[in-house]
Amino acid sequence: MKSKIKSSSISRALPPRRFYGHGIPGVNLDDLVGTLIVIEGADGSGRSTQITKLVDWLESHGYATTRVGLKGSNLVGAELAKAQQGNILSRTTLALFYATDFADQLENTIMPALRAGFIVLADRYIYTLMARDMVRGMDEAWLKNLYGIALVPDAVFYLNVAPEELVQRALFKNAALDYWESGMDIGLSRDMFDSFLKYQAAMQRAFRRLQTIYGFAVIDGNRPVETINRELRQQISAVLRGRVRPRPTWRKSR
Amino acid sequence: MKTFAELGFPGRLIAVEGLDGSGKTTQIYLLKRWLETRGLKVYFSEWNSSELVKSATSRAKKLQLLTPTTFSLIHATDFADRYERHLLPLLRAGFLVLCDRYIFTAFARDVVRGCPAEWVRGIYSFAALPDVTFFFKADLEVSLRRILDTRPVLKFYEAGMDLGLSPDPQESFRLFQGRLLQQYLDMADEFKFEVIDANQPVEVQQAVVRRIVSRRIKLAQFKCNRPRPVAVAHGAVGKTEPVTQQVE
Repeated sequence: MKSKIKSSSISRALPPRRFYGHGIPGVNLDDLVGTLIVIEGADGSGRSTQITKLVDWLESHGYATTRVGLKGSNLVGAELAKAQQGNILSRTTLALFYATDFADQLENTIMPALRAGFIVLADRYIYTLMARDMVRGMDEAWLKNLYGIALVPDAVFYLNVAPEELVQRALFKNAALDYWESGMDIGLSRDMFDSFLKYQAAMQRAFRRLQTIYGFAVIDGNRPVETINRELRQQISAVLRGRVRPRPTWRKSR
Repeated sequence: MKTFAELGFPGRLIAVEGLDGSGKTTQIYLLKRWLETRGLKVYFSEWNSSELVKSATSRAKKLQLLTPTTFSLIHATDFADRYERHLLPLLRAGFLVLCDRYIFTAFARDVVRGCPAEWVRGIYSFAALPDVTFFFKADLEVSLRRILDTRPVLKFYEAGMDLGLSPDPQESFRLFQGRLLQQYLDMADEFKFEVIDANQPVEVQQAVVRRIVSRRIKLAQFKCNRPRPVAVAHGAVGKTEPVTQQVE
């Protein structure tokens, strides 16, 4: 837990902030001086455990942090939770509903925190949403355009855990499998255990495909919690050392 | 993007677009009556969205929680819900479906709010184009007067108050509608709108509409072989109800 975050005097400038695509209208990207770190992975991949440890570590070094997850928006979070109770919305509708939730949190939680110089730890981001939609047959180009509103994070870590291990963890924790995490809505198998394995394998393939586009770091999530956390801390330290963002060069007129 | 006919659907979709107060709702109602009396399989889409989406949308509007991006996305969600649950099955089943507003309302409105046009169009690309789109083009002042004379209390988003064009709702509405009109006119050629002169008398416009429909759609194919169910009241679509209800 005691790895240092060295504040180097020579700052490696991070690439300037940008959106993946068309972005959000009217946003001044230079104002977003904080750091956006995303942890991705399936349920049971250890995301929240890792994030909790990272928050402790960052706060002990004096960094202000904000945690943000999916389905947390004021706008549609409650309705999304209800939509999950019964499988009533079709796939395009659900995809757009999730995108609405994401956009609301991006504009009302993530961007204000970045403006205030916080480190935002996102417990999942657009990649999970895209992977879920891809597994349900949504068009990849359509999703890319839709999520062109998203900010490019400073770092993305995908905790990769084998489906066989995920199923063990899920049953250990809850003694039951979740309907959605088993992909029961798409009818891969009537047997829930079987469906879970097939669905998680399909999600892994979708993540691998997204990795080739968005280039996030794949972390072997089958290892012990501390080993993984050490690796994350090392990589995040590197990001923070280079945190000073290039300002637009200010020239005196004339 | 392709029309339902081009995609091989047995049904056909007819959409009307135009500013609030352009008279489009009256015209589509009269079109529906005509098709019904000819004994055709016609359905007027009332845009009843599912409870979940509706509850999120109405709360968001009441509390003014929406930005241009979330305004666009929540309406796209609503549209997708109606499209997948409601319009697609009807069109698969070979109905003539009449829509009071379609994707062009979103194209115009979201772009005026500052969303990039390509982004908005990309989102709605899951929807097929109407087989016929009527655009009711009235003078801006005529449309404005019809709305502003009947209903002086304008809702926040309806008046485009979120754009910050003017602190006065009526003035904001005027400016907002002017910009929407411009967007519609810019789309007219691209999407082959049948532009109807909405300054003419109602029955003159309707005669033009009926002529175009019978020219562009083989109506005989839509003969209804079974007795019509007892008509459910669709809410009188005359001028007792303000036509702005579909807007936001």
